[in-house]
Amino acid sequence: MHMNSTSFTRLFSARPVRRRTFFRVAGATAASSALVFAGCAKDDETPEVTPEQAFTLGTGDTGLLNYAYLLEQLEAAFYDKVVAAPPADMPATELAYFTDMRDHEVIHREFFKFALGTSAIGTATFNFSSFTLTTRAGVLTAAQTLEDLGVAAYNGAGKLFADPVYLGLAGKIASVEARHAALVRDLLLPNSFAAAEVVANTGGEFDGLDAAKTPVQVLAVVNTFLNITISAASLPS
Amino acid sequence: MNILKLLADLAEVDPTLYARLSSRRAVFAPLSQLGRTAALAALPLAVGTAIMPAQARDIRTILDSLNLALTLEYLESEFYARALGLVAGAPGVPTNFFPTGTRLAIETIYRHEQQHVRFLERIIVASGGTPPAKPRFDFTGSKNSTQPAVFADVFTNFDTFLQVAQTLEDAGVRAYKGQAGFLQTDNSLLEAALRIHSVEARHASHIRSMRRARGANVKNWVSASDTSVAVPGKTDAVYAGEELVNQFIAGLRQVPFDQAPLNTVVTVAKVAEAFDEPISATTAAALVGLFTY
Repeated sequence: MHMNSTSFTRLFSARPVRRRTFFRVAGATAASSALVFAGCAKDDETPEVTPEQAFTLGTGDTGLLNYAYLLEQLEAAFYDKVVAAPPADMPATELAYFTDMRDHEVIHREFFKFALGTSAIGTATFNFSSFTLTTRAGVLTAAQTLEDLGVAAYNGAGKLFADPVYLGLAGKIASVEARHAALVRDLLLPNSFAAAEVVANTGGEFDGLDAAKTPVQVLAVVNTFLNITISAASLPS
Repeated sequence: MNILKLLADLAEVDPTLYARLSSRRAVFAPLSQLGRTAALAALPLAVGTAIMPAQARDIRTILDSLNLALTLEYLESEFYARALGLVAGAPGVPTNFFPTGTRLAIETIYRHEQQHVRFLERIIVASGGTPPAKPRFDFTGSKNSTQPAVFADVFTNFDTFLQVAQTLEDAGVRAYKGQAGFLQTDNSLLEAALRIHSVEARHASHIRSMRRARGANVKNWVSASDTSVAVPGKTDAVYAGEELVNQFIAGLRQVPFDQAPLNTVVTVAKVAEAFDEPISATTAAALVGLFTY
């Protein structure tokens, strides 16, 4: 927009700076300062933010939402990778299931990102080299590991939420993860949808109940796919 | 009047308030398009409607939720037991009712339902309650031949059996989900309920795979693309509301999946598949009632 200097000066001096304008100006100053600091960081004078700090989950419900966000990032990244380069021996019907599951996980991921707003952790980069993603069996094994982990994570996290709204939303997602888990299990080994390794059947008091894992147990697995270590220390327990 | 503070306070008293308000999205959605006066006039009405059931449910206790869960498990357990020919006195299923390779999965599911029955009976007693009596069941829906059957061939036609199985499992998932909020004050009960809830979802997924293997058009998750198994006027409540695309986070903020920028990242048509919805205790009890007399 063109504006000559005379009219600009008149406009600026004609009225006092309003509160909103003031904050905008102050914000601009803060942004400039940040740029200055960013410049300083290259001199090794100012400590850089470590990747671990960028992925500090936070406390309370926010921490739990970030925990779920991280899990959904993991699952979405996995399915994205599979769907982008499916194994040659995976039939089209199964690829369609995987496309659906990818889409669900992306929806879950974006859901948590939206819910967290400015409190959201960054976008993690995952390393899936421990899986064999070039064969159908390898992909199904990996999917089973991640889906069972997701189910156990939601089952263990539900009681940690303070806000019933988030308990309810976690429940809406958890059963979809369980539907995924049962499907990929059955594809890998027929009738293994609720095998004893996930649904207890030992003659004990928790027979017939699915697994539940604490954030500490779940993050220990998630961290194996990351180049950094994300801590559960700040989360409710 | 601070409406949000009021809602927060009410939600502390009644943990399901937000969920009920969310289900009244039709009331809330047009608010942004109304003038301020109209919005303020409409809001107390919407809130009032949501609160009323809360007052009726103030007497709802953890034991009520556990009793409902046990009744559902009695229903599922008895359903599979009859199909497997394990109920003395009940009409036997035909020879070869189970096609090759299908009986094992039903035995597994039956074992889980039995385990859930025993688990819930135990914790109801441990909580000082008395387990409800097991209802008398008629899975044809004829109420012991006093009215026309809804599923006349449930134990003679394997496909009908699987349709009813899917109906019961999907309903079970929704019913547990609806009770989670009432268990929030007891961490161990809540966790146990969630662990049963996901087992029911595994069952539902497997039954859906079995149906698809027999030619049914159905996914492992509840999808608008499924050919419906709901019987109008009878079991439609099992799937009513599952088409929900609007999800609400704390503070009644709607997640705008169908608007930019979210709709450029997500597949909006699959949002409903990605979230299973709860049903109320009343709806769950009414569904159980279809199969009891």
